[in-house]
Amino acid sequence: MFGGKATDGSGEEVEAAAPDSGRVLWAYLIVQVSVFAGLAWKYEFFLLADQVYHRLPLSDPFFPAWLQSADVIRWTYLGSLTAIILGVVGMLPWIRMLCASAQVGCLAIMLLHQGSHNDMTFATSLWASIWVFWFATGMDRDEPADLLRRGAFLGRAIASMILLGGAVGKWTAEYWSGEVFYDIYFRERDFWVFNYLRESYDAETLRGIATWYSRKVIVVETLFGFGLWLLPPKWAAAAGVTIFFSIAFFSNNLLYSVLLSMIGLSAVGFFVPKTMDDTSTRGTG
Amino acid sequence: MDTETRRPRRDPLFVLILFGVCVVTVWLLLMPFYAAIARVTMKRFHLSTESFACWAIQAPVPAMYNFGNQYEIRDLPEGLITPVLDSSRPRYINHFPTRVLTFANGRYSLLSPGQDRWVTIRSSYRGQTLETKIHAKPIGEGRFEWIRESSEILSTGGDR
Repeated sequence: MFGGKATDGSGEEVEAAAPDSGRVLWAYLIVQVSVFAGLAWKYEFFLLADQVYHRLPLSDPFFPAWLQSADVIRWTYLGSLTAIILGVVGMLPWIRMLCASAQVGCLAIMLLHQGSHNDMTFATSLWASIWVFWFATGMDRDEPADLLRRGAFLGRAIASMILLGGAVGKWTAEYWSGEVFYDIYFRERDFWVFNYLRESYDAETLRGIATWYSRKVIVVETLFGFGLWLLPPKWAAAAGVTIFFSIAFFSNNLLYSVLLSMIGLSAVGFFVPKTMDDTSTRGTG
Repeated sequence: MDTETRRPRRDPLFVLILFGVCVVTVWLLLMPFYAAIARVTMKRFHLSTESFACWAIQAPVPAMYNFGNQYEIRDLPEGLITPVLDSSRPRYINHFPTRVLTFANGRYSLLSPGQDRWVTIRSSYRGQTLETKIHAKPIGEGRFEWIRESSEILSTGGDR
């Protein structure tokens, strides 16, 4: 699957591979699996949502009728998962590209639908899926090291933009004071970090911790939003995976649905070879 | 695969996506300095943008935990006393405060009793606050109508 043997002019066996094999295929698979995992993370939630949207339709003239339909959200959600599965098992370049375009289309609809526009899962998954579509167009024809290098750069540019999107909206007094995070998380959120802090500290101290928690989030998102895309691929990959994982780990489990796709996209940097003529990109996984 | 096809090629799609990332990033970075951009984004959060198309084009702009967003819920119109639901203290919500009505769990908890609900949402950013009032009116068979009663900028304290 990931490589093969061939004979060169000297009679020695050298590794030759299908152009979309090895690290390139692993990078593709990791991003696709992470997008799938992020979407599937909320499967139980969407089962509940499906029932609620069918039972309690909310008519808002702002949205076109079809973007209020409970059936549309059901089938586009399932369609996005199906497109990922078919793209991964399809293996042929045209199947990958077709499925990736369907994946982008489904997630774009989810991002605009009345019942799911407010879920950032579909914003991060859409950007990761746009990356997947672009990557799929090059897997069978581009030089692997060059494709990976460009893929990692595009991945960390997207990750930087996502972090800046979080940071800029928090450059306001309500976040700098910690007021928002205190109300959303520290007061009553049932999650190990906040349960521990509530059990360990009095109300006044807890409010102070909320302030510094909030400022830490602003500083990290700002610093890496500006700087992540400038880092070397492997450093950026390590930083991206750590940051996106830690945001969910220290906030709430539902955030994995938003951030798993970004973790996968960041991880592409691990597959970039050290030099352009590094033959390890070809068929060695 | 011969080396010809492995040569770095022109990649307009890569350039196009990178251009999109740059446009979104510039838009984000201008927001703290141009009050109009913050207002456009707050209207996006309140589903109060002038047209659906103008709202939809902003959809790819990441907005995780943006603005100080608050909501209040009443089971009686504003001005009447003794609401049953606790509206004594506005609560914060991470983003898109309309999700208290549109998103599955909020929609279920507020609308499943089948009664009218009045929701006030506010988003604040660097001295500006957008307040929107929504009436969720039951129209039979479990259906509700979303009536936007008002949406206006309350304060413009100026950019800091």
